[in-house]
Amino acid sequence: MGLLATGTPLEWPEAKKVADHVRDWGIEQLLAIWRRAKGKERDALLWGDEIEYLVVCYDDEEGRVRLSLRQADILKALAEDEKLLSQGGGVPDLQRGHTNTGDTAPTFHPEFGRFMLEATPGKPWGIGFKDLLDVEPNMKRRRDIAKEHMAPSESPITLTTFPRLGSPDQPITPYYPPSGPKLRSQFVPDEIANPHIRFPTLAANIRARRGRKVQVNVPVFKDEKTPWPWWDPSVKYDLHNWPEDDDVRNGAVKENQIHMDAMAFGMGSCCLQITFQAKNIEEGRKMYDQLSPLGPVLLALTAATPIYKGFLADTDVRWNQISRAVDDRTPEELGEKPLRDNRWHIPKSRYASNSTYIAQDPRLRQEYLDPELIIDPALKQRLLDGGMDDLLATHFAHLFIRDPIVVFAEDLKELDLDAADHFENLQSTNWQHMRFKPPPPGSDTGWRVEFRPMEIQLTDFENAAFAIFIVLVTRAILSFDLNFYIPIRRVTENMETAHARDAVNREKFWFRKNPFPEKHTKGAEEAGSRGPSRPASPKGPVEAEHALLSIDEIVNGQTAPANGATSSRATQAISKAPDDLFPGLIPLVESYLDSVNVDVETRCELAQYLSLISKRASGELWTAAKWLRGFVRGHEEYKADSVVSEKMTYDLVKAVERVAREEGRDGFGKEMFGR
Amino acid sequence: MKLVLSTSNIMGGGPSVIRRAAFEKSNTELTTALRGNIVESQQGVSIENTDGTDNRTHESPPPFEAWTSLEDSNLFIPAVDFTHSGLAEDRPQYDITVKLFYLPDVPTEQRGAHTREAIDLVLKELHVPSIDLLIVSFPGVAFDADDEEEDEASDDVASGRSSSENGEIDDIDVMLETWRALEKLHKEGIIARLGLSEFGTQRLMKFLPKTSIRPSVDQINVRDCCVVPKPLILYAKQEEIELLTHNDCTNILPRGTLRELLGPGHSGAGILADHEREKGLHGEVEPQWVVKYTAVVKNRGVVENKGYFAVAKLV
Repeated sequence: MGLLATGTPLEWPEAKKVADHVRDWGIEQLLAIWRRAKGKERDALLWGDEIEYLVVCYDDEEGRVRLSLRQADILKALAEDEKLLSQGGGVPDLQRGHTNTGDTAPTFHPEFGRFMLEATPGKPWGIGFKDLLDVEPNMKRRRDIAKEHMAPSESPITLTTFPRLGSPDQPITPYYPPSGPKLRSQFVPDEIANPHIRFPTLAANIRARRGRKVQVNVPVFKDEKTPWPWWDPSVKYDLHNWPEDDDVRNGAVKENQIHMDAMAFGMGSCCLQITFQAKNIEEGRKMYDQLSPLGPVLLALTAATPIYKGFLADTDVRWNQISRAVDDRTPEELGEKPLRDNRWHIPKSRYASNSTYIAQDPRLRQEYLDPELIIDPALKQRLLDGGMDDLLATHFAHLFIRDPIVVFAEDLKELDLDAADHFENLQSTNWQHMRFKPPPPGSDTGWRVEFRPMEIQLTDFENAAFAIFIVLVTRAILSFDLNFYIPIRRVTENMETAHARDAVNREKFWFRKNPFPEKHTKGAEEAGSRGPSRPASPKGPVEAEHALLSIDEIVNGQTAPANGATSSRATQAISKAPDDLFPGLIPLVESYLDSVNVDVETRCELAQYLSLISKRASGELWTAAKWLRGFVRGHEEYKADSVVSEKMTYDLVKAVERVAREEGRDGFGKEMFGR
Repeated sequence: MKLVLSTSNIMGGGPSVIRRAAFEKSNTELTTALRGNIVESQQGVSIENTDGTDNRTHESPPPFEAWTSLEDSNLFIPAVDFTHSGLAEDRPQYDITVKLFYLPDVPTEQRGAHTREAIDLVLKELHVPSIDLLIVSFPGVAFDADDEEEDEASDDVASGRSSSENGEIDDIDVMLETWRALEKLHKEGIIARLGLSEFGTQRLMKFLPKTSIRPSVDQINVRDCCVVPKPLILYAKQEEIELLTHNDCTNILPRGTLRELLGPGHSGAGILADHEREKGLHGEVEPQWVVKYTAVVKNRGVVENKGYFAVAKLV
């Protein structure tokens, strides 16, 4: 979450009137930032992870678990404690069991959901391999510190979504009735959102702009005794508190779909996001492009979201639900009505997979770009006139097709070119799976890229594994000059594919077959000092460059023989068509590690992380989604009808906490860890 | 005549750097990269000769004289252009590690000279005055985690029980002899730190007291990295020796492999002749040493330049 600026927020009709104003100033601020920072060079690799928690509250006597809405109190306790920390005392034995002296204390942040908490390391990580060893203990320490500042009955858990959020029993504490003026949800109260004025305004203005409530429909999982066709039994059709109560009478509810109607159902999900600082703008643009095709793969690999609103879903990941939960497009923009008041038909929500590539890279072929990308031509022209190149101007002119949602009246008085508030207003409400982040004004921070698709994992072991894996993949990309480009529309397609139940083992994804630079020839070589790799201009049909691969093939490589295959078979495969067999992300990372000095302890630790990811990809180990679904279906109370009851939710959340603590060492959840 | 084979920068050079599967021999990187560099150089010549018309696939390979260079009875395979710097940024940005493989069947008294030759080539290639770390690999020394568990008094660690593949074993005194040459390079300011590979506790205990510049690194094969014996970890910590991982095999360039690489035939470079009547060079190749160099941008963890030189005698 960005900075929580405050002031007098404009209601939607007023905010709409000043949208152009905010965009114009946002573009001017962007140009000022870009001019100042485009020559910034030689920044170190610094990176950070964000862990998000649900705060749950147990009622052990009744066998119930609810979401705790005490975010503000918990943050206050943490803040006061941090003061004590900086004064050098007052917190005895902060990190039992995970001693790591000399560390900067982690920091905690509010999130959209009032039942959520976000924690980041106190200072960014580097690439020193010892740093990598600190990540997991630091995550564990964050969890411990969070827990210590909660009530005894409360716990932070790293589950993407609360299984019964929005159920009729209102599993929140303290209790508030649903159907408030901001969200107008029939399932959750306004108090479900962080009370900071930014958040209710965000939700209310998205709804107002859209002209109705958001519609978050997820296919229900059809089990043996699930009534079919299935209509969400928790929907009330006879509410008349708000005009939006008509939505469900006008077809918002769909057959065989779990129906949800508020931003909290999406933005209340926990993610694992990683941000990298690049050496310069050029490297940042390259990382943005090269990580983009990996997004859907990592989404499927980290799948952890099989339950919504008390029902098993037929999908495994959170992504589309968040996308729909913040979809502010009008019927005209959605193509449901002819364009009259709106400028464009917009194919994607503000929260969606990327639609642009931005690197000035000779390997980026015109064919990879979206031919129907929507941009604001006037704003693009302004960026071009300001000196920005076409690709980057196109990217931002695409982000700026959206309206600003939360506008504070006070901010419109004077344009401050040393600030970034108007730019960030648009930038930070474009929730794509990659984010290209210019240096914030007045700081020494460099150009950064944020990798956003991953789901939070149940344990810190897994969260550290995936965070570090992505870091190592970026190092392999830069070291080997890898090329993962496929047409951006294929990435969008992959993002949909990643939603399918058990997509990690059952689906195939478009992926580039040969990630290596074009073979160079000695005669035509050597423009710079960087040695051989001046890529030749690409040739051949784009369609021949990529193929449908399983996640196993993408992660472990196409030549890696499945269980027991002989080496001769694999050798044969290599000699046949080495350029057409994808080598695998893990072998690429291993090769990178073979090329740098890594101490035995670190390498051993990294081997455990890589092994986890390798086995998740091969199906030998289960994703959290598969395990959670299995837990529900194996529960004594489960009636094979897709319903996840209160008691099942209680047991499930307890189980999740046990897994987070034991990480499979006690044999519980060993399907996920193999130990 | 001396043959100087090189890979040039193999980063970004494609599949040769990628470990495809665990069963693959770890010298595949070296041989594939050497072959790749040869083929590219041959193609470069073909292109120049044919004015860009691409019919090289049907041609026989160009004569090796066209893409190699002979300097003072050193045949560079392929010709190396030392005029471009191998590094984009200033020297202090990099961590430069060099690993020198002494090969079996090479008289040990030549190692001093070989070391200097190898380091000179790397300095010339990378356009730097010094390197950060030189790790040496002695032939036949193989780390064996199980041996570590044995009786500390056991005296035959250096006498061959822990070695397997290559037969030839150096004793500590011979290795120390070599070490003196490394110490000299250190004192000259050319090498900042020295390292060993595959040394177990007992070998280290014998070795350390007799050095004047102590090794600061001991490299262990990655497949053993999770089973490194506790005594070694403790001893290394106590002696301030970093235990690092590698994925090289000790017998990195067997004679047969080199002969095949340079010989006639489909996969050869067409430099060595098989029979008296064939065109090409005649004689036996005797691999002398192999050196691997790696330049990593320190604060970004990016491997910018990595390559090998391999030197053989033709007699």
